[in-house]
Amino acid sequence: MKRLILALSAVILSITVNYAYAANRIAVSINPPSVQANMGDTITYTGTITNNSDKAANNIIAYISLSNVTQGKESPMDLEDWSANKAIKIDTIQPHGTYGGKWPMRLIDSGSYVAYITVVDKNSNIPVSSEMSHLEVKRILRLNPNNVLPVAIGEPLIIGIVFMFVALRRRKGVK
Amino acid sequence: MKTTYIMQKEIRESILTSKGFLWYTLTSIILSILSYLFLTNSELSLLDQGQMLYMIMNFITALGILMGLVFGSDAFAGEIERGTLEALFISPVNKTEIAMGKLGAAVTNWGIIFVISLPYLFVVGKGGQNLLIGIAYLAILGTLLAIIFSAFSMGLSARIKSMKNSLIISFFIFLLAGAPIFLSAALRKTWFGMILDLINPFADAINTFDSVVIDSQGFSYQAGRVAIICGYTLLSLWFLKRSVSRLEM
Repeated sequence: MKRLILALSAVILSITVNYAYAANRIAVSINPPSVQANMGDTITYTGTITNNSDKAANNIIAYISLSNVTQGKESPMDLEDWSANKAIKIDTIQPHGTYGGKWPMRLIDSGSYVAYITVVDKNSNIPVSSEMSHLEVKRILRLNPNNVLPVAIGEPLIIGIVFMFVALRRRKGVK
Repeated sequence: MKTTYIMQKEIRESILTSKGFLWYTLTSIILSILSYLFLTNSELSLLDQGQMLYMIMNFITALGILMGLVFGSDAFAGEIERGTLEALFISPVNKTEIAMGKLGAAVTNWGIIFVISLPYLFVVGKGGQNLLIGIAYLAILGTLLAIIFSAFSMGLSARIKSMKNSLIISFFIFLLAGAPIFLSAALRKTWFGMILDLINPFADAINTFDSVVIDSQGFSYQAGRVAIICGYTLLSLWFLKRSVSRLEM
């Protein structure tokens, strides 16, 4: 019985040590910790990935995730429309070195979001995520961006007037 | 010279008419709605400017092709059904000149659509990337596509001699050409999707617009696709010439 308890303790200890090693080997943080902006603004998140071990970390993948936490709209966001570069591949981070990655993002929709960066190291089974950065996006309404109204109303009107003018001249010509 | 005469006749009869102006007014209204939606709809308006420009360029190209198909289908089959082809054949103009004149009118129609779309392109792409180069590619590839689809549809109309049938077949071909748009991004990356994308002139054009406007890639990336579109242009002209030379009353 004692042997069994000893063996189980050894297994649990080994898992815990392994987990702690993996968790500590790579650390990631996100900046700024909170953002307030308007729809259409472009913001940039910076992720700092630190290799805390004595060995170089190779082939690291870091990506940003965004989740909508607005009441009733809770869902992960597809970042393709937000023009965000989702994943960065880092060839090597030297022992005790850091890597700074940038994730520019165009804010497409209003609401409350959380953004976080996840780092995947192929030598570890446990992904490492940063803390969450809170993002509040305010809705804005634009009625005539890029002066679209004069063109959108004016051009069909001009073509219509030219058409009527030509038709009228033809009718007069026929008479 | 005789080709120019036929072209002018076609422009007078098809473009400078109430019907023709109605098409262009409708084109303009559709583009107005589309660009207003792009710029004011809360989600669409915040798409990347290049993405908006790319989407509107695709729409203009498709519209130009569709109108070219209608022009092409009417070219010979329409004349036969109206009983006016005989009069055209006894005039001192050979069949190839007639075909080229009609094709010239179809390309002029594309030219008018392109000119109508310019203010919208400038408004939608204002402040964005690759606006002018995008417009240049639209002018060149749009003209080549207008030639390809109009000449093919004209050739078909000369062979089938039925406007309804040639129009239906042309639309089927156009839908087939547009099929890659309906495939998912993942499916387009498979060998089947890639081959379908490569051998299809319409897909080649929209992939070129994507590459130029969104990815800011240079001509060396586009050369292969542009060469394929040029190849199709020559092939469609050959098909038209051959179909018309066999046309008998």
